[in-house]
Amino acid sequence: MDVTYKRDNILKGSSSNIPPQKFALWLGMASMTMYFAAITSAFIVKRADFNSWANFKLPDIFIVSTVIVILCSVLLQLAYNNYKKTNYKTYRLLLGLSLFAGISFIGTQLVGWTSLQNYGIFVDGNPSGSFLYYISGAHGLHLIGGIVALLITFVRAIRNRKNEIYVLQQIADPKRLLKLELIVTFWHYIDLIWVYLFIFFKVNYI
Amino acid sequence: MADIATDVHAHVDHHHDDHHDHHHKETFLTKYIFSQDHKMISKQFLITGMFWAVIGALLSVIFRMQLGWPEETFPILETFLGKWAEGGRLSNDFYYALVTMHGTILVFFVLTAGLSGTFANLLIPLQVGARDMASPFMNLLSYWFFFAASLVMFASLFIQTGPASGGWTAYPPLNGIRDLAINNGSGLGLDLWIGSMALFIVSTLLGGLNYVATIINMRTKGMTMWKLPLTIWALLFTAVLGILSFPALLAAVSMMEFDRLLGSSFFLSEIIINGQLLDHKGGSPILFQHLFWFLGHPEVYIIILPAFGIVSEVLSVHSRKPIFGYRAMVLSIMAIVVISFLVWAHHMFVTGMNPLVGSIFVLFTLIIAVPSAIKVFNWISTLWRGNLRLNPPMLFAIGFVSMFISGGLTGIFLGNSAIDIQLHDTYFVVAHFHIVMGVAAFFGMFAGIYHWFPKMYGRLMNNTLGYIHFFVTLIGSYMIFFPMHFMTGLPRRYYTHSNFTTFDNFGGLNEFISIMAMVVFLAQLIFIFNFLYSIFNGYKLKKGEENPWGATTLEWTTPVERLHGNWPGDIPAVHRWPYDYEVNGEPFIMQTTPLKEGEVEH
Repeated sequence: MDVTYKRDNILKGSSSNIPPQKFALWLGMASMTMYFAAITSAFIVKRADFNSWANFKLPDIFIVSTVIVILCSVLLQLAYNNYKKTNYKTYRLLLGLSLFAGISFIGTQLVGWTSLQNYGIFVDGNPSGSFLYYISGAHGLHLIGGIVALLITFVRAIRNRKNEIYVLQQIADPKRLLKLELIVTFWHYIDLIWVYLFIFFKVNYI
Repeated sequence: MADIATDVHAHVDHHHDDHHDHHHKETFLTKYIFSQDHKMISKQFLITGMFWAVIGALLSVIFRMQLGWPEETFPILETFLGKWAEGGRLSNDFYYALVTMHGTILVFFVLTAGLSGTFANLLIPLQVGARDMASPFMNLLSYWFFFAASLVMFASLFIQTGPASGGWTAYPPLNGIRDLAINNGSGLGLDLWIGSMALFIVSTLLGGLNYVATIINMRTKGMTMWKLPLTIWALLFTAVLGILSFPALLAAVSMMEFDRLLGSSFFLSEIIINGQLLDHKGGSPILFQHLFWFLGHPEVYIIILPAFGIVSEVLSVHSRKPIFGYRAMVLSIMAIVVISFLVWAHHMFVTGMNPLVGSIFVLFTLIIAVPSAIKVFNWISTLWRGNLRLNPPMLFAIGFVSMFISGGLTGIFLGNSAIDIQLHDTYFVVAHFHIVMGVAAFFGMFAGIYHWFPKMYGRLMNNTLGYIHFFVTLIGSYMIFFPMHFMTGLPRRYYTHSNFTTFDNFGGLNEFISIMAMVVFLAQLIFIFNFLYSIFNGYKLKKGEENPWGATTLEWTTPVERLHGNWPGDIPAVHRWPYDYEVNGEPFIMQTTPLKEGEVEH
């Protein structure tokens, strides 16, 4: 009676070719999208009430942070491409640069918050300002999660970099490639969210 | 045999990165506490859920004492509650805390985590044919985030200012200001409540991602989507609902914590406390309600969908008949999921919304009755002319259908804004949602526990105690909630009605309801005794008795003893749908049995 089959399905999803981890990440991104949709639609509902909405000019530094975030995505994609081409040295360099870009993004956000305070816009003021702090802060927390993942990857990449056998093992390991792919995907996602938020703020503030 | 075991471990250990250990030994800690085996995690969810269910129910018994005998004193309350019940009389502050915690605990900790946490973990890998979840580690995290949320919530019961007491919906402005002058629960109690909910949301999301990824990606050979048991379909859509709606609750509670701690005004405007105008200006409390109910309505389906799935499976197995209208069942769940995102504002008809907007929400709310009615019709048709085995799981499944009809009918009244405006915040609403999603979901859960107990513990539960549990709970629940429909205009959430002569004639009824609540509570203790006793002393299934109910699904092909990896050999392939009962002259045909010559796939 042929009721069994030989290839066990835990190593490879039999019902679909997408690795389950990748699928779970996409679901997670759907969930995060719902979160950002919820807070930006709360913004829209509140803004529709003109009587209680104090509009102000969006600090220009957020343009810089948007450029950085796009740059970060490009660098990370290039790093990934070089990894796939087993160009390990360039990969390390690009990975380091994108990590730096990610950290400087948080820096520019902090500068942005400081200039908001200089304008006299505080968290405990009109909801128009509180929303900017809350939404950019929520995005920043997600991005810090990405920085942690990137940092771990970076440490792994520069550790034992002189040991060629170790490096080759790392590159040959499909699990490492998948992990890197997941991190790159998440970074593109969270960068895209910031571009969306920037356009959203640009449209809604002066 | 040893070879097979090593083989299994080699497969199971794939997630241990590079550290392959062929003599992988389970210590007490990795087997019972930080287990990554989905079956153990399901037991952890179940037992934590049962612990919370007892607490939540006990709280309701205490406030029912107040409602039943508002003028009496109960010295025993002072013994246990101290300053919250001085002289044996419950303080009004603590009454609200009890009601709030009762709602929070039952809705989230018992009927969300306890119900779908238990059955998604137990059934998904076993019924789709996988060795474990997509990510066993994430699954472990899901439970421990739930445990952390539980600890924080439990701790909040014991702090000096008392737990949150502004209602399980935590509406601002009452809950938006961190000022004890408003009520005691608005202080640390509510901060802990919000912190606990944030941990809880993380737990639900981690679990949900895993459930969906496992169902979509890890099905065994031959297990197409249309061969999945209805339990799996229901759990799939439960997880999808959670993934898409819980983020809105996270947004709501985190913004509210901003208002409370950082002084922002998302949900607050122009509030005067003791003659003092607060600084909060420009916010909107209604905005919170929109965010809250965007989760809150799908949440009731997160609670009831797993029960739908369990009941469909149990009714079919114990009627010895294929489920009636399998595809209609799946499609109606899909319809419910989609529409459930479009009805949230029916909780808000009295917020002064535009009547046109209101009528759109009325329309969608009434439309959702259609797929629900299809499901009820199919359950009854499954029973029709079946060869019924009236054992405890089956009785609870039938009880579920009864409850779902009784509670669903009143939903049609409440779904109409014109009637809802009259009935809003009265005991009619309390009766409606307790029957349709509280008691009904519990019945689904009990059906599942009695049905899958042999799979979880390799033993059977005691039938006699099961019958007592069922009949007392069924009759008692109707006795509690049915009279509430007729307590015309009696407002809910009131600490006492004694000051209103209009409601004097409900005094006797309130006493009756309170007595019934205590009886039903005691019946649940019988269940818990039966559960714990049977784990150690129930009839032990012998080899060859792996499938005590004669069911067709994959979980009954695994050995009685627990095994991380589920099947000692290869995972079986699937050849047919899960509801082949009384076909080809056989009582049932397992999903693993190939189709006969000339037999057409269902």
